[in-house]
Amino acid sequence: MTAAAVALKGCVHAYRYTLRGVIGSHCRFYPSCSDYALEALSTHGAARGTLMTAKRILRCNPWNPGGYDPVPPKG
Amino acid sequence: MDQKRLFAAIALSIGILLIFDVYNRATRPPTPTSLPSTPAQTTTATPAPGPAASAPAAPGAAAEATTAAPRAAAARLPVENPRVAGSINLRGARLDDLVLTTYRETLAPDSPRVRLFAPRTDPNPYFAQWGWTAGNANIRVPDNETDWTASADRLAPGTPVTLSWDNGQGQVFEIVLSLDEQYMFSAEQRVRNTGTEAVTVLPWARIRREHTPPTAGFYILHEGFTGVLDGRLHEVTYKNAETEAQRRSGIALEQDTTGGWAGFTDKYWLAAVMPASPTETLRAAYRFSNDGGGTAGDRWQVDMAAPQPVTVAPGATAQTATRVFAGAKEVHLLDSYMERLHIADFDKAIDFGWFYFLVKPFFLALDWIFRLTGNFGVAILIFTVLIKAAFFPLANKAYHSMARMKALAPKMTEIKERYKDDPQKAQQEMMALYRTEKVNPASGCLPILIQIPVFFALYKALFVTIEMRHQPFFGWIHDLSAPDPTNLFNLFGLLPFDPAQWSHWLHMPAWAVIMGITMFVQQKLNPPPPDPIQAKIFQWMPIIFTFMLASMPSGLIIYWAWNNTLSVAQQYYIMRHDRAAAKAAKTSVKAAK
Repeated sequence: MTAAAVALKGCVHAYRYTLRGVIGSHCRFYPSCSDYALEALSTHGAARGTLMTAKRILRCNPWNPGGYDPVPPKG
Repeated sequence: MDQKRLFAAIALSIGILLIFDVYNRATRPPTPTSLPSTPAQTTTATPAPGPAASAPAAPGAAAEATTAAPRAAAARLPVENPRVAGSINLRGARLDDLVLTTYRETLAPDSPRVRLFAPRTDPNPYFAQWGWTAGNANIRVPDNETDWTASADRLAPGTPVTLSWDNGQGQVFEIVLSLDEQYMFSAEQRVRNTGTEAVTVLPWARIRREHTPPTAGFYILHEGFTGVLDGRLHEVTYKNAETEAQRRSGIALEQDTTGGWAGFTDKYWLAAVMPASPTETLRAAYRFSNDGGGTAGDRWQVDMAAPQPVTVAPGATAQTATRVFAGAKEVHLLDSYMERLHIADFDKAIDFGWFYFLVKPFFLALDWIFRLTGNFGVAILIFTVLIKAAFFPLANKAYHSMARMKALAPKMTEIKERYKDDPQKAQQEMMALYRTEKVNPASGCLPILIQIPVFFALYKALFVTIEMRHQPFFGWIHDLSAPDPTNLFNLFGLLPFDPAQWSHWLHMPAWAVIMGITMFVQQKLNPPPPDPIQAKIFQWMPIIFTFMLASMPSGLIIYWAWNNTLSVAQQYYIMRHDRAAAKAAKTSVKAAK
């Protein structure tokens, strides 16, 4: 994993232990957006992982049925 | 195991808070009262930064170089308009005495007026000055000891004053000063060459701060050098300017700018220098030097000078026009200067930050409601309701599926039973169920994330603008921009001591407690995080936040408390609404049977 991916994962962890406590968990998916981000960053690296996470967050809205939505495997 | 990790996390959080606290104290500059006074006579010369041979001396460097001999007291030219009062020191052409007459230091009716500029005899010298640097050796230019002659006995709106000085070698220096009804000084600097030889001079205007002012030290508020140079905002903190200036022989930043402005910003006050015309190009610089004696020797300077020395032919006159703003950063006033005088991005003197496009409109709306209601606190409450109302459809949409969720209850209990030992699997199955049944109890991450910048912008608008300063709310809040004065730890004044004197963590105002309670209630209504350790840490969040926000301006705490209350009310309303709808559906089904 690149340094950028590690740093980004650090940000996600920081979010989970601080901001999420204030705003609550509202995710419509399994795994949740932050779990998804961690896994996407590990599997696909910083750039692709960030892009996939951004798309996932955009999907996570009241007009999407939500549900089971795992990180696609590499390749 | 879980317990251990939880305690480790709590210990870590407390550790971070304490370290942050200690660090904050260590780096905070001393308060002005602790600075030894530096009388004018003992101020030593500021060495001209840079290799003197190739570059022209820094504006004002030569003026500093003259050593003072004891002389008669300097004459002063009084300055007055409806908003400022003070005087210009005619020795050295310095505006070094300026009080903002419409602002007081504290809420007390007899509190002193806010002083922006102070002379070198004061512990916190801060002034604007106009002058020239000699471009060649054969011209005598005015310096700090030059006694100027004023054409009138008072500078006021509509009555400009000309300061003049004849160097006795054929050149007459003039500074035509004028002042508007607010905070803007204009200066036209002229050199009339009546001699027989051409002379070369570098005209400049500068703002100089000969002490390091105390800063609030908040991450979301810029204090220090600020300016818009060639359309770009350049904010440099005192600390960064010092580091940069030490690397680059006294210059923290130097750049030619067409139009624009540059100066020093405090939380509420600004002193800035700028070309009088938006099409004129001047060279702006942020400078730092230290005269010795620790932080008392700190010298900060923002100057604007002609980009090249100006040659004045015999019989000719050279002129440069600049302005100096010295006053309060009132949003509407800066906007009007921006419009009338075409000062590029002058409103950016207020630290609106990255979310400028949200923060400024929010402020304008708040201010508008304030004008309607007459109380800034009420304006905050109303505006927060409006923002919440705008997001209501988003929150509502998610909860509409609540009624249908009820129908799924048996299936959900079944899943929970089946995967009792594997909560992750249970979660996964639950999500699959939501999908097949097309229901979902959560509103989604996107609507929540969108709201974060919006509420941050409102917070920032309240934090950075002067309009909330000294504005009362109800009860014991007399200044929304100051911390709530009450303290739980002396039972709100029943005990005759102030625990905050030992540590600022021991200041727990009433409104912070209210904020903590609302946050706790709101958190109870949110779905808990799936991870049990996180869930336990979250129980501590309201307490941690209460302590962290306790010494914030009370207007911000009231905003947080109100925002939480509205969130709770909204959730409660939606849940009740859906329950009623579900009940109605049930009865109609029964009736049909």
